[in-house]
Amino acid sequence: MILRRALPVLLAAGAVLIGVGPLALPGFAQDQGTDTVPNTKQVIGLEGIDHNATGTLTIAKGTLEFTKGTKKADVPAASITEVLTGADTQRTIGGTVGTLTMFAPYGSGRFLSLFRTKIDTLSLTYVDGSGGVHGVVFSMPEGSSTAAKVALLAQGAKTSVPIEPGATPPASAPKPQGRKP
Amino acid sequence: MNINMSRNTRINVKKSGYLISLAFVAVVLLFAASSGSAQQTTPPAPKPKIKASSIQILMVESNEVKLPLPFQLALYENMIEQVEKTKKFQHVYRDGDHAAADAPDLVVLHSNVYGFKQGSEEKRQVTTVAGATQIKVHCEFYDKSGKSYGDQDVTGNVRFLGGNLRATYDFGKKVAEIVEASFE
Repeated sequence: MILRRALPVLLAAGAVLIGVGPLALPGFAQDQGTDTVPNTKQVIGLEGIDHNATGTLTIAKGTLEFTKGTKKADVPAASITEVLTGADTQRTIGGTVGTLTMFAPYGSGRFLSLFRTKIDTLSLTYVDGSGGVHGVVFSMPEGSSTAAKVALLAQGAKTSVPIEPGATPPASAPKPQGRKP
Repeated sequence: MNINMSRNTRINVKKSGYLISLAFVAVVLLFAASSGSAQQTTPPAPKPKIKASSIQILMVESNEVKLPLPFQLALYENMIEQVEKTKKFQHVYRDGDHAAADAPDLVVLHSNVYGFKQGSEEKRQVTTVAGATQIKVHCEFYDKSGKSYGDQDVTGNVRFLGGNLRATYDFGKKVAEIVEASFE
């Protein structure tokens, strides 16, 4: 009897959870014009953030924000004068460990170098308060850069290569050529 | 016995005299050679270093070759970072910075990419001999009026370790070396 009463409630709760679950996952756009991309690498350009630092890129409230632990860098979207996406690849085993594998015996390190994952790149230029031009390069999981670019444009950023509606991949993102910049 | 001893002494004296004369000739030759080489390789007078309190680094241009935007931006950012590290200037202005207009003795650094070969990190790691990335950039320093202080070609490479963008770091380091050598 109790089970019969509880069943509709449980089903409804399950449906709600299934419905909103993906939205809670990182990397999914929360609403129009915002985006959160975890596992984003800031290759170069953001002040106060180390080169090749991996963190979370958030585009919301008219600002691009990169967070790495306690460190944070903000760029107003309206100050962004160019956004371009690209595709690339990177080693599956990166960093020091990846480098050390190169010295593994019998050429096994060289073999490991063949395992690579596809990544997207997001390059942008912005102008600071005194007019100085900055350049920033991010790399992020494959398929994330277009959504980030769309979100940036919705927040007021400019680009010389607009995203065509329904274009996959966008005009600015050439097919991956298996090369890392 | 005595005859033998005196003969030995004479031979020793002869030997030592011969050695002394040989040493004298060697010293004379050495002196002559060193003075001759000194005349030949007199280093040219060192170029006077440029005095400037501030520098403005312009965005890297690539009029002759198609350079991907990440490379262009990385060249620019690495150049700024490495020139700042030299501590030769009180201010390092970015392209477009309005404050640069008021700087009294400003030097402007203009750079244009004329050669670009995008290699492959994968090839470098697998073969160790192929897949090098190379970026050739022409750099020129001039003052506000446009008078040139000099120009130089700089090549950024990555041959073994690191991603292709490491060539831009190599370029930045080399520009910083030029700045170290050219500015007070």
